[in-house]
Amino acid sequence: MDNLRIDALIIGGGIAGMQSALDLADQGFQVALVEREPSIGGRMITLSKVFPTLDCCSCITTPKMSAVAHHPNIHLLTYCEVQSVREHGTGFDISILQKPRYVDVSKCTGCRDCEYECPITVPSPFDRNLGAYRAIRVPFSTAVPQKAVLDPEYCLWCGKCEQVCPVEAIDFTQQPETFNIEAASIVMATGFDLTPMETKKEYGAGKLHNVIDPLMMERFLAPTGPYGRVLRPGDGKEPTSIAYVQCAGSRDETLNITYCSRVCCMYAIKQAMLISGALPMAEITIYYMDIRTFGKGYEQFYQNAKAMGVEFVRGKVASIKEDSDQNPIVKVEMTDIGEIVERTHDLVVLSQGIIPASSPILRGGSTQAVSLPLGSDGFIYVPAPDSAPCVTERAGIFVTGTAMGPMDIVDSIISASAAAAEASAYIRENGNRVEAHKEALYA
Amino acid sequence: MSARVDPQFLTEIKKYGAVNIEACFNCGNCTAICPLSTNGETFPRRIIRYAQLGLKEPLLSSKELWLCYYCGECTRTCPKQANPGEFMAAARRYAIASYDPTGLAKALYTSPILSAIFLVLPALLIGLGIYAFHGPMPTNALKLFDFIPAGIIHNFGVIGMILLAVLLLAGMVNMSIKVKGEKTPGVHHDWMRALWETLIEVLTQQRYQQDCETEADKPVWYLQKWFIHASTLWGFLGLLVATALDYGLEVLGIKATGTWVPFWNPIRLLGTIAGLLLVYGTSMAFVRRIRKSDATSTYSTISDWAFLILLWLTGVSGFLLEIALYLPQPGIWAYWTLLFHISAAGELLILMPFTKFAHAMYRAIAIYFHALKPVPVAEPAKAGAD
Ligand code: SF4
Ligand code: SF4
Repeated sequence: MDNLRIDALIIGGGIAGMQSALDLADQGFQVALVEREPSIGGRMITLSKVFPTLDCCSCITTPKMSAVAHHPNIHLLTYCEVQSVREHGTGFDISILQKPRYVDVSKCTGCRDCEYECPITVPSPFDRNLGAYRAIRVPFSTAVPQKAVLDPEYCLWCGKCEQVCPVEAIDFTQQPETFNIEAASIVMATGFDLTPMETKKEYGAGKLHNVIDPLMMERFLAPTGPYGRVLRPGDGKEPTSIAYVQCAGSRDETLNITYCSRVCCMYAIKQAMLISGALPMAEITIYYMDIRTFGKGYEQFYQNAKAMGVEFVRGKVASIKEDSDQNPIVKVEMTDIGEIVERTHDLVVLSQGIIPASSPILRGGSTQAVSLPLGSDGFIYVPAPDSAPCVTERAGIFVTGTAMGPMDIVDSIISASAAAAEASAYIRENGNRVEAHKEALYA
Repeated sequence: MSARVDPQFLTEIKKYGAVNIEACFNCGNCTAICPLSTNGETFPRRIIRYAQLGLKEPLLSSKELWLCYYCGECTRTCPKQANPGEFMAAARRYAIASYDPTGLAKALYTSPILSAIFLVLPALLIGLGIYAFHGPMPTNALKLFDFIPAGIIHNFGVIGMILLAVLLLAGMVNMSIKVKGEKTPGVHHDWMRALWETLIEVLTQQRYQQDCETEADKPVWYLQKWFIHASTLWGFLGLLVATALDYGLEVLGIKATGTWVPFWNPIRLLGTIAGLLLVYGTSMAFVRRIRKSDATSTYSTISDWAFLILLWLTGVSGFLLEIALYLPQPGIWAYWTLLFHISAAGELLILMPFTKFAHAMYRAIAIYFHALKPVPVAEPAKAGAD
């Protein structure tokens, strides 16, 4: 890989990162977008529909992914990780690791012949491990780039893919490579993870068969999902009674997460509506402490869900156990009537909250590649959140999307454009642009 | 029922502990996780709500306060870490203070200076008072009741007991009236059964044992909280019975109190075992509070300590006395130990209505009302049913 000199490096290829990249590139800046996965698209490409409009997520995300891939001012660096960032004048020297795909991307056409031939099936994290793919594969049907990637952890090195590849793209000899980028500015769009549930033993510590996370439900509901329908992962049964446990991992000091994750009420309501469509006979209950419908059209959305028959029960679920048929049993005080109930459901979705993907909780406290001070909540610290929400403590580094804090897709996109505007102003001000202003090729 | 919101009430209860309860956002987690909370008698959230709203009467009428054994499950899982278990303990202290007509309990709980004075003074007075009447201290043979004539103990005891009984009764009546609530006409309650259940629960602490220790990682039985608590209680009751029996023998003219009996004498044996249990229970409770083993032993009021220390001192000094009885040549210390023992025991009894000790009665009353269920009324036979 050749070294690059650019105006802005965007770290993270989810919806926020892509939007920032497109906004900057459209203004004629030279942009590189680094993504650690083999495809861009982030979390959003795995989701079913957006609230409150119920528009299809891939229909919004895929065009942006293609736009990023085809933009003349964007260098797309997938399957890459930022190793270190050093200040260099007013800009930055960034060292990037290109992980080996064992596939020559300049040759691969994405025909998937290798994938069809590969004898090894592995669980697919894209489908939250509910579905499976091969040890060599194009990550998912709408992946960008449409290039195969081989997983050395599972590969038998049997060579079958190499034999069938029509363009001889398979290259078992690939090694990790590092290269450097010189960038005038950086936008952090590193996204989120779900709050981990392993320490919440009252909720089964992640060990109950039919208690799932909300991203699994998104895969069940997505048209591209592993089964094309909603079922219980424990035994494949079609659930007739589904419960949502709100604030599972948010506003919970026992887990050290005191903030509200903002999106959980709305995604639970959205999923409840979609389930009502997919399983019209199913009974859906949402156990909540407060329903927070903060955005435009959200309250109406909530009222619609109620009108559709989704049951809302006020009370924090205290425990989830399992009966001998692996049915989860939820225990809660219905605080409106002051009654303790134990209810058996077929499937329980924990409305887990959002923690930063770079969270020390997940990385065992290891240092980040880009060292930025974090707030007490673990998200990237922003000194002036109410006047310059995307500006971090370090000059030239900006932050967007859920790396800033919990937010929904709409807000992620807004903040992405805001971060791009801040970065743009910064690059111009410091006058060290890579190239003179070019006409935006993509309007 | 109309009620007036009184924000001051929470401040009042917080004087008795209730660390951080203002953080509670009424999610109900505590009530649902509580192994003892049942429908119709839910807690702690509802009781916290009373406190937050200033509903003093409903709070003081809640038998639920005493149905909680403070296992600490609610505190461990409260998402706001509002410490609901500690709130329940504080509300119990508040209730003890409110049921007590003298105001002493309140002073003991809320004023460190007053409590310090009140904790030392009675014991000192008892000690000095008895010492004023003391007799010889022969060291060739242990003649405890030559040193302090049994009559003196008796007289002091009777006066103390009457006073105590009046105060205790006042508290108990106060509580019972509140907890009992309105009588529904035509409904009869099975009070015999309730009494029986109360007795069983007091003696076995079943609810504590079965429901409260739900933790999967619970320690061996003799380190479990319920056993520590039960052993203190059994020890105390055992000693009470042994003393009463011993005194009974004197009344019947069979033998004088405090005279030598072989250690296998049933009464003596009961006393010994009970003493061991009491010292074990109180020592362990001590250790737990000092180490702050878990949420339930983290916060201790002066009154909590006083009760525990007095129990422990009474137990240990009683034990020393017993050893002295079997020593061939007991030293002069045995007489001082007796004086100390009587002072500590006296103080313990005097403090009963005003300290944590009072929970023994209030809890029993609460369990009684909890067990009191209406007798199902036989359906009158329907005439002319077709
Ligand atoms: S004390 Fe804690 S668990 Fe109980 S209602 Fe309040 S916040 Fe919820
Ligand atoms: S301490 Fe235990 S018994 Fe008391 S309210 Fe809390 S959970 Fe219930």
